[in-house]
This record gives sequence, structure tokens and C-alpha cells, in this order.
Amino acid sequence: MSTLLSDGVIHVSDKCKACDHCTSICPTHAIKGRLGEKHHIEVRKCINCGQCLINCPFGAIDDVSMVDERIIKALKDPSKFVVVQEAPAVRVALGEEFGQAPGTNVKHKMYAALRRLGFDKVYDTEFTADLTITEEGTELICRVFNDLGVPGYEAFGPLPQFTSCCPAWVKYAEDKYPQVLPHISTAKSPQQMFGAVSKTYLAEKLGIDPASIYSVSVMPCTAKKYECDRPEFIASGFKDVDAVMTTRELAQMIKAAGIDFMSLEDEQADRFIGASTGAATIFGATGGVMEAALRTAYEVLSGETLDKVDFKAVRGFKPVREATVEIPVKALGGKVLPVNICIVTGTKYVDDVIEDVLAGRSQYHFIEVMNCPGGCVNGGGQPIRRDTY
Amino acid sequence: MSEDVIKGKVLKHDTQTRTMHWIHLLAFLILGITGIGFYWDIAGIANIFGGPANSSLVHRWTGVVFTVAPILYILLNFDRFSRFVDTITSFSKDDFAWLKTMGGYVPFIKVEEVPPQEKYNAGQKILGILIIIGCLLIILTGFPMWLWRDVVAPATLALCYNIHFWTAIIMILLVLGHFFLAAIHPKSRVEFSSMMLDGYIDAQITAEHNAKWFAELQKTE
Repeated sequence: MSTLLSDGVIHVSDKCKACDHCTSICPTHAIKGRLGEKHHIEVRKCINCGQCLINCPFGAIDDVSMVDERIIKALKDPSKFVVVQEAPAVRVALGEEFGQAPGTNVKHKMYAALRRLGFDKVYDTEFTADLTITEEGTELICRVFNDLGVPGYEAFGPLPQFTSCCPAWVKYAEDKYPQVLPHISTAKSPQQMFGAVSKTYLAEKLGIDPASIYSVSVMPCTAKKYECDRPEFIASGFKDVDAVMTTRELAQMIKAAGIDFMSLEDEQADRFIGASTGAATIFGATGGVMEAALRTAYEVLSGETLDKVDFKAVRGFKPVREATVEIPVKALGGKVLPVNICIVTGTKYVDDVIEDVLAGRSQYHFIEVMNCPGGCVNGGGQPIRRDTY
Repeated sequence: MSEDVIKGKVLKHDTQTRTMHWIHLLAFLILGITGIGFYWDIAGIANIFGGPANSSLVHRWTGVVFTVAPILYILLNFDRFSRFVDTITSFSKDDFAWLKTMGGYVPFIKVEEVPPQEKYNAGQKILGILIIIGCLLIILTGFPMWLWRDVVAPATLALCYNIHFWTAIIMILLVLGHFFLAAIHPKSRVEFSSMMLDGYIDAQITAEHNAKWFAELQKTE
């Protein structure tokens, strides 16, 4: 078993000043230690989200790095064909490391920098975020039909359906609420879908042996490191994703390579699996997966094209938000189906929602859970902000 | 024997002032030792207080004493405290002249005549101001570090720690200097028993070191 799976991704270093700020941040109370006493993380409870890391006043919490041992090694290995994907939230945060305002989209410079770092193909996770939307949206429809008793859909799981993109949330559910697992979408996260696609479909289309493909991802999230090492993600017979680096680590690699990031000419992602829709882009914000999946579900169920693609009811920053979207279902003769949705941002707020589901009280059909406040844009792998307010 | 019949001596610090000084001194010592212990992770110090967490607990509650003692003193002795603040914040020509010669305390500065001083000399005035500012900074950063550690921004918390630490270091150095002058230096060690024991100081010495104040005392008699 990977040491990362047994020892966890996040560790408190000797620099800990025992200020105890992190214990209030941790959604699973995995950080132990009283004020004045050096803290440590209980691996069994930790969901690797890295929120303690980005909120530590003294930079005393670290995440395990795969850069030297895996990524740079692969880039130097001529027998490896190294492909890279970047999550939607990375492009709007990477610029902060190079003096840009938070939210500045630097994706075209990011593609250029990744090529300078030696990656053979630079793709984009947005491609598989679109696949996730299709998978999760279709699965939701099938679960709704199963719930309505439509014949042929009996094999699909129960309602409500929870999203499965956030590895911190998935681990939390596995650790604390295993009974809720049948409710979680069976779709892989965009990162893992990309890994699987890169070693199956891409390998076939490019005529490359999957064994020589090395799949790297750039993520705003430390839990993605844990996710990539999970033993079940081996669609091609090889690891779907071989290594993960965070936005911070990519910035460090760019700086270490002496690349003048802001002077780079804009470049595009490689074609083929580098294309995406706007629905994929909003994945990085809370409510984004829900909104994107609703667009798919609406069009498939109603058979109509949406005039306005925005579902603004799902946006915002309240930890728990709910809304009802009315969808006319073509297969039921145009009968309007009210789809009750819920968005949870911050795993610490999900317990009540889960308790209702397990008790049979929940009125929701679809529930999005993202561990980090505000979604992946505020992930544990993002640049560390030093605002004093 | 009543206080005002001791011949050849004058009362410099009354009972409440001396009590407050004692409490503040003891609290400062405990705060300094425990603070140094957990800032530099010295297990030997933390273990004296029952381990790091208990050492922190002792530090915090001693901090409460460190805060409450002067507040109580000020409330009970507001006039006296006002006069003290008045004195230490008023700098005359004599004070500046005293500072130029460092009051004759520094061996390599030749001094023929030390300018007359009030109840506190210019050095003590500066020390008093620095101690008040230092106490305020330590208290105002200490309580958020304890009570609001969950709600303040990480950078603000780090700022509180830095201010708290550097202020404490400066205060420790000031107090060491204060102790040397008040308890060890041959020219001024008579001050020690005045603050730490009975409150009285030799009239002759006062006439030399605090001539302006001594003249005032004589006028009021």
C-alpha cells in the first residue's frame, strides 16, 4: 500500500507554534493538541483537504510532495510520455504566485509554462469535467426514473444522488457514513476520468503504449494526491493518474526552472482532449458541478435546449443552499418534475443533510458536496493568502 | 510606629503601590519563564509547569493577573496614577540635561553635576512609558491569541504572535536593566528596599537624586 494512503498527505511540522488555530478549521476534528502543545494529525480521521495547511499562521503544516520523486523523475525519463492536466480552479489562482490579482485567468500562460517544463502533451481537466457532467447528469436521470418506477432503471441507486468529484468529501463519507455510499454518484472525479482516458482512449488514438504514458495532474487540492494513489483507479491496468502537484507546487517548479511566467506568449492546450465547454469551467466554484449537471439533466429530460444556461439559485456562499428546479419530462408526457437540490460547501456542514437522507426525511434529489469553503478555488493546494482580515 | 515619624526617611511608595509592583513582578517572571519555555520549545521549563499545555494554561491565567492587577490599582488609586502619568510624560530641560549625562550612571561619561530631578528621573520616566506601552501591547495581543484564535485571520494571529514575542523580549531586557539599576548599581540600589520592602528611602539620598521632589515635600510639610 502507498505510504501516502497509510500515513496521509498532510503533516504538522516541528515549526508548529501550538497556536491551536487549525483545530477550529479542520472539518473532521482530526487535529489533536491543546493550546500550547504541539499539534499532530490523526491520519485515520484526516480527509487530506489541506484547509489547515493554507490557514496555518506559521506555515507549519506541509503536504507530501510528488514533484521530485515522481514528476521530475518522469520528465527526465526518455521512455516516458508525460501528459498533464490542470483543474479549472488552478488557472485563476496560479497568477497570484506571480503578482497577479486573485482570479486572474492565466491559463494560456500556464499551458506555455507546462510545455517549457518538458511535458509532452498539455491537456486540460475541463475536458473530463464535461465528461463528469454527462456521467453525473445521466446517472441522476436514471436514479430519478428508478425512483419513479420507470421500468428498465431498477439497477440504479437511490435518491438523492450526491456528487463524487471531491475526494475529501468522499473519504469523509467512507469514514463516517458508509451507509450513504450507495447515494454517491458512481462517476469518477474529473481528475481520475482524465487519467483513465489518457491511458486508454488517448493511448489508442496516439498509438502509444499505455505503460509508457505518465499522467500528471495539477490540482488546487491536496486530497487529489490521496485520490490518485487509491488502488481502485486502474482502468487501463496502470494507475489512472501517476502523480499530482498542487497550484503552489507548479508555481515553485516554474520559478525553479527560471521561467519568466508573465512574459510567456499565450498558448493553447493540445487538441483532442484539450477542448471543453463553459460548464466545465464553473466546476471549481461551489454549486458549479450542480449547475453544470442540471443543464445536462434539463436538456436530456425535457428534450429542449436551454435559452439561459445559468441556474443562479445554486450560486452563492452560504454553507448550505437549496433550490427547486422545475423540469418538464418529455418521457412522462411533459409532466413537470420539481427537482430539489442542495449544495453544501464545507464538509463540517454536511452531517445534518446526511442524517436526513439516512432517516428517509430528505426531500432532495441531488446534493453537491464540496469540502472547501467556496469550492475548489479555495482548495488546500492553492496559493496561501496572507490577508489580515 | 507610624509611617511619617521615621526620622531621616521619606515615604516614596505606599503599600498599594508596592503590592501592585510585587504582584506584577511575580506575574511577569512566570509569564517570561513560561513564554520562553514554549516559544523555544524548552521541555525542561514546560515540565516544571506540568507539560506544554499546562504551561500555556499557567501563562494565560497569569496573564489575567498581569492585566487585572494594574487595572485594580488604577481604579483604587486613580489620582496617584494620574500624577504618575503626569510626571513620567513631562520632560523639562533638566530631564534632557540628565539624559545627556545619563544621570552619571555610565562610567565613561564624566559628570560634574547631575541636574535636579522629580520623583522619577528622566531614565525612570522613559522606562515607565515603555513599560506601560509594552504592557498594553502584550495584553492587547495576548487575549486574541487565547480567546479569538478561532476567528481571527491567520495573518492577524501571526502578527499578534510576533508583536507579543518581540514586545516580551524588549520588556525582559528593560526589566533586567531596571533590576540592575534598582538593586545592584551602587549609586541607586537603595531604591530596592523602598519598592520591595517598606516603601521608605533615605532623605539625604532623595535630596540628591530627586531634588525637585524633595523640595516639594519640604514645602508641604
